[in-house]
Amino acid sequence: MSIRLRAASNDARPAVEVHRLRKSYPGGVEAVRGIDFQVAPGEVFGLLGPNGAGKSTTIGMLTTTIKPTSGSARLAGFDVARHPIAARSVSSVVFQESVLDKALTGRRNLDLHARLWGIPRSAAASKIAELAGAFGLSEVIGRTVDSYSGGQRRRLEIARALVSEPRVLFLDEPTVGLDTRIRYELLDLLSGLRGSTGLTTVLTTHYLDEAERLCDRIAVMHQGTIVALDRPAVLLARLGAELVELRVDKDPDGTLAAMRARGLAAGDAFAVGSTLTIPLGNHSARDTITAIQGLGIDTEAMTTRKPTLDDVYLQLTGNRLAA
Amino acid sequence: MTTITAAPAATPLARPRAPARPSRPAAWATLARRRISLSAHTPREILAPLATPLLFALVIAPALAKIIQATGRGGVDYSTFVIVGTVGLLIPLTCTFAGIGVIVDRATGARRELLTAPIPRALIVLGNMAVAIGVSLLQVGALMAAGWLRGSHFHATASGIGWFIGAVLAFTVFMYGVAEILANKIPTQEEYVGLTPVVAILPWFIAGSLFPITALPAWLAWAARALPTTHVLALLRYGVLDHTGAGLHDIWGITSTTTDAALSLLVLASWATLITAAAIRVFTRSAVN
Repeated sequence: MSIRLRAASNDARPAVEVHRLRKSYPGGVEAVRGIDFQVAPGEVFGLLGPNGAGKSTTIGMLTTTIKPTSGSARLAGFDVARHPIAARSVSSVVFQESVLDKALTGRRNLDLHARLWGIPRSAAASKIAELAGAFGLSEVIGRTVDSYSGGQRRRLEIARALVSEPRVLFLDEPTVGLDTRIRYELLDLLSGLRGSTGLTTVLTTHYLDEAERLCDRIAVMHQGTIVALDRPAVLLARLGAELVELRVDKDPDGTLAAMRARGLAAGDAFAVGSTLTIPLGNHSARDTITAIQGLGIDTEAMTTRKPTLDDVYLQLTGNRLAA
Repeated sequence: MTTITAAPAATPLARPRAPARPSRPAAWATLARRRISLSAHTPREILAPLATPLLFALVIAPALAKIIQATGRGGVDYSTFVIVGTVGLLIPLTCTFAGIGVIVDRATGARRELLTAPIPRALIVLGNMAVAIGVSLLQVGALMAAGWLRGSHFHATASGIGWFIGAVLAFTVFMYGVAEILANKIPTQEEYVGLTPVVAILPWFIAGSLFPITALPAWLAWAARALPTTHVLALLRYGVLDHTGAGLHDIWGITSTTTDAALSLLVLASWATLITAAAIRVFTRSAVN
């Protein structure tokens, strides 16, 4: 897929700057608790976390549909609270739910976006034709959206967000609710956007494979805070090259403590439910398994494998991400 | 250990230049065209709200006139009196139906996309309102034409038509503002539709639509004087039917009919301004958490 987008700005400032951003709702619910991050121009940045972690609230504040309680955020240098219209003019959003005028044609939906973002009529027409072709929508673009499949609607929404050639594209859980085949098609499509000149993408997801495949850097969010922020490879490297996973019948925390006391597990080992995960570090898998068996622990299963982002997340939060 | 990449120190930079965005009139026109495409692009959508008022004006009013052999104020025939009065039903019905579009936008439409557009959010309300005004003017014209074809006699002068149009515009703005507020406050379409008779029809019965407000019990007549519907009906009849301004005198009791008319138009304009401001505020507050 090849889509021409606006050339990267020469502006040296980050595309997204978030400083001590906080959102509290009435009743004392703290959805976002003072987060900081920056996204460089052209970067694909992922906000990863389960439902309720504060990802969508963060996107809402950056897109000016949620008012921050305190802190600041800037898009391409525009403060979202002080200059919201300018901030909106450099960004586009693909929402978690379908947000389309279903009684209108696909072309009309794209054209409305172009009009509202101030794209000249002639430029909009050629851009719409280009995006319809790139997103495989040329044959249906003249049909009303209520006749579109779920995958076509999602592609139309992403195409719509690109009509105005935004500097910052927000994708809020873009593959939620899609069947597996459509989800993988969409991931291919989003991967294709990575090379687009100047486009900075902020993506929220609770799918780890999605974050690993698409993002240059990932911020892991948990209960309104960022608990880790780095490149996927660096986050994975925290757990070494290999780990042992074992399920125990009873008292996983006591078992983990016993293993730590004997030097079989370090501080980075963790327990979730009845499953213990032991990063091997410099130990060999064979020696570690033999030592564990020597402890007389009643295990249901024991395997060795490479670490995944799921393990990183579990280590950081102690919670399993929603499937 | 938690790995958090330290954010580089903020470098003071000049405020960036804002990219091009649409002018307010262009954005407003785009939003109005969108609303037309969604809610008013077929004759059925425009004419359906006319059914009830036409029934009242062309069937029920002549039947009532026949039975009670009534004559409107100033010797105006009763059917014509009611036809003009029916405008006070038509506009509220049109505007409350337009409010359903606001709920549909919120529940299953593109409202969230509009909220992220680089435009003042008040334009979203004003774009919808423009279409409600256009549709109302068309419908009022159709109602008056139907009355004329049925044999009603209107006494239209340039100034009278001016009062008439001014009253229709101010009342439509007021009613659309009410509909927008309710549509943003009420969570479901079902609940909103259930409220329509109270908002659109109930005031019409006591606002001098079928009989002068002086025929009401005194306390209710005073309540009727506070209703925008009462002022609009008196102004409409003064504009095209009864130049003695009997309905306006019933409200104000001042000897100068022009002063009466100006006061009623001022009341309508004030309500329209107040409710529009409130509607924009309610919309923006409900749209942004």
